[in-house]
Amino acid sequence: MMRLLAFSLTFLLLLSPNVFASEETYQFETDAQSTLFFELTKELRCPMCQNQNIADSDAMIAADLRRKVYQLVNEGQSREQIIDYMKQRYGDFVYYQPPVNATTVWLWLLPVIFVLLGIILVVRSRQQKPVTQDKAKLEAAEKLLEEDK
Amino acid sequence: MKKISLFILPLILFVGLAIFLFQGLFSNPREHESPLLNKPVPSFILPDLMDTDITYTTEVFVGKVTLLNVWGVWCVTCAVEIPYLEQLKNDGKHIVGLYYDQDIDPDFGVKTVARVQQEVDQKLGQLGNPYAYNIFDVKRDLSLDLGVTGAPETFLIDKQGKVRLHHIGDINPRVWQKKFEAIYQELIAE
Repeated sequence: MMRLLAFSLTFLLLLSPNVFASEETYQFETDAQSTLFFELTKELRCPMCQNQNIADSDAMIAADLRRKVYQLVNEGQSREQIIDYMKQRYGDFVYYQPPVNATTVWLWLLPVIFVLLGIILVVRSRQQKPVTQDKAKLEAAEKLLEEDK
Repeated sequence: MKKISLFILPLILFVGLAIFLFQGLFSNPREHESPLLNKPVPSFILPDLMDTDITYTTEVFVGKVTLLNVWGVWCVTCAVEIPYLEQLKNDGKHIVGLYYDQDIDPDFGVKTVARVQQEVDQKLGQLGNPYAYNIFDVKRDLSLDLGVTGAPETFLIDKQGKVRLHHIGDINPRVWQKKFEAIYQELIAE
């Protein structure tokens, strides 16, 4: 609770423009490096905030991670190397694309299972034949018709 | 038969969903398992906060069970936590601070170490000092290697210098009992 309060207070502070006036400007040697930097900062998730990428977030940790990504990109590290670097420190949480493992496999399996279940249900309900008429009822009905004549 | 399943099936689905969502009410979304668990503390060479001539490396964790507490004077929750940490210290626990400053922006800002030391002295003078010493994470590099997301956070480090527990948030009597006590006693006995 206190932490939430602290966080929202920090958040409010960050919102006021005078507190954090510094604009980050990163210089890159090649266009490819600059592209990689902007892609990665969009795909890496801020570990402090619930659903913001590090490009979007004003949290200090996000700024630190951006600086780290910049440093690693300039060192010539590849996309996978940088993602691994972050995952080693902040876990799978830090990257928006979850890996397939025993816990996350349901994300892929559940929709398939639901579709299959749906298909089975539809097929089954089509196979059911109309209810066979009761002989006794038929006879009773015919009798009624007879009587009407 | 068909009528019963029409009643039971949605009921099962509903109860399942309700249990799933109910659990969500009590889960902490900021809690995720540290990839560092059971691994040695990442290597570092960092100065003491109060006397920058002293430097620390991972060697300092060898041979005793350490609580490494990440904090800063700017951190509101830390101020709430420190008096309880002092109690723990008085119970004989070895608590080391990992201090980082929010205002030291490695790219732009400049804040003198003397100023930071003065702030820390003042804060600990008010609240009490639970720390055996403070490691000064000047550029927040060690924090980043440890996967720290903010402050306060606490690492329980065993006698071999391996991380055994990573707690995000403050330590209070409830958290200590639930999360730390058992594993701490285990590590002490090792």
